[in-house]
Amino acid sequence: METLFCFWGNPFMSFDYIISILKPMLEGAQMTVLLFIIAIIVSIPLGFLLTMAVSSRIKPLSWIAQGYIYVMRGTPLLLQLLFICFGLPMIPVIGEYLVLDRFVAACLGFILNYAAYFAEIFRGGLLALDKGQYEASQVLGLNKWQMTTKIIMPQMFRIALPALANESVTLVKDTALLYAVAVPELLHFAETAVNRDFTIVPFVVAGIIYLIMTLVLTLIFKWIEKRFRFE
Amino acid sequence: MAIIQVSNLKKSFGRLDVLKQITFNVNKNDVVAVIGPSGSGKSTMLRSLVHLEQIDAGSICVSGEYLVKEGIYPKLQDIKQITAKMGMVFQHFNLFPHLTVQENLEIAPRLVKKESASGTRQRSTELLEKIGLANKAKAYPANLSGGQKQRVAIARALMMNPEILLFDEPTSALDPELTGEVLQVMKDLAEEHMTMIVVTHEMGFAQEVANQVIFMDDGEIIESGHPSEIFTKPRFERTKAFLNRSLK
Repeated sequence: METLFCFWGNPFMSFDYIISILKPMLEGAQMTVLLFIIAIIVSIPLGFLLTMAVSSRIKPLSWIAQGYIYVMRGTPLLLQLLFICFGLPMIPVIGEYLVLDRFVAACLGFILNYAAYFAEIFRGGLLALDKGQYEASQVLGLNKWQMTTKIIMPQMFRIALPALANESVTLVKDTALLYAVAVPELLHFAETAVNRDFTIVPFVVAGIIYLIMTLVLTLIFKWIEKRFRFE
Repeated sequence: MAIIQVSNLKKSFGRLDVLKQITFNVNKNDVVAVIGPSGSGKSTMLRSLVHLEQIDAGSICVSGEYLVKEGIYPKLQDIKQITAKMGMVFQHFNLFPHLTVQENLEIAPRLVKKESASGTRQRSTELLEKIGLANKAKAYPANLSGGQKQRVAIARALMMNPEILLFDEPTSALDPELTGEVLQVMKDLAEEHMTMIVVTHEMGFAQEVANQVIFMDDGEIIESGHPSEIFTKPRFERTKAFLNRSLK
């Protein structure tokens, strides 16, 4: 009842109060968006390269890529972030050179982790491709590079889009893990306001900001899907 | 003069011999129909001519150059050069779904032969008119009927100016009422003296258009000859039995 009362208690539902907490929270949201953009721009191509490595005929390369994906998907992202931020500097001798800026470290963690997930998504797209596409390309005389870039990749990307969209929404929400490595982002500012003012309004506002971000992202992906429907 | 010479072709998948001692010749301007029950190795034979299947022994010679000589293949560059003389039309069309009809036609000449955009555009437009699909140039394959798809696939193969056109059951995936339009395009090509090898279940087409029929069963050529001989007086019991089943 206490909390409920607090929620409806006038001072914190006022417009002025929300404006006052909105400013730092939106700054935090900028961090979230920045991380999201960096992570997605780097990890999608990296994931594609991993997929290529997994399906490579060079066995050791394929094994290394598969092992990498297994480790990245088999351990919590939070653990990986903590490892990069706090674990790497503790390695003897080379550790002192591995002290990274928190945000840089977080970007690295997200990129390395999400590349593995995107690789699996792309692999699914690759498996769904009809083998007739390869045969037609071969008979028409296309070389490996032309086949990959002009025939396989566009179709694989199309098939992977819904799963890609889903994973990207997860990425937006996962940015909240920055909180654990003390990079000030949206959730951090919300929590600060909650503790300071003893109201849950900032949490609600944070939730709404996340919803807006994921809504925009979903709409963008819907638009891309429509654009690449090939009908 | 034979444009394709195949001798003693052998291929096995594990312990199963799918091709045993296949030997035949195809002359320039011939239309060869390859008939036979499912699993007789017809498609495998056809696919080995364009190196979609690797054979274990034997030779394939295409207009004087060996694609494979006594089971030994030359280097990849030579293989590509020889298979470029042939175009292939697949049972399931294998059009590129992310490209429009016109782009499907133009992609290979543009990428492989580095032809100019204006040149390929002119030829693709002509070909689409010829197969009666000029109004579908900007459509995607998903919006075409099966018969239209297969006609586009034939046009796509023709864009590369092949000396020989191979058809792997071109009408088997089509609804019966759509086979006619595809067979008509093939007949037109035959009249223009295109050399064609057609693996088919369309006995009417084999009888009417082909000037050589090859009957295969169980990985072997049982008999071959002019359609008038094969269809009216087959020499072997297996041919008779197959024809009785298919012509009913």
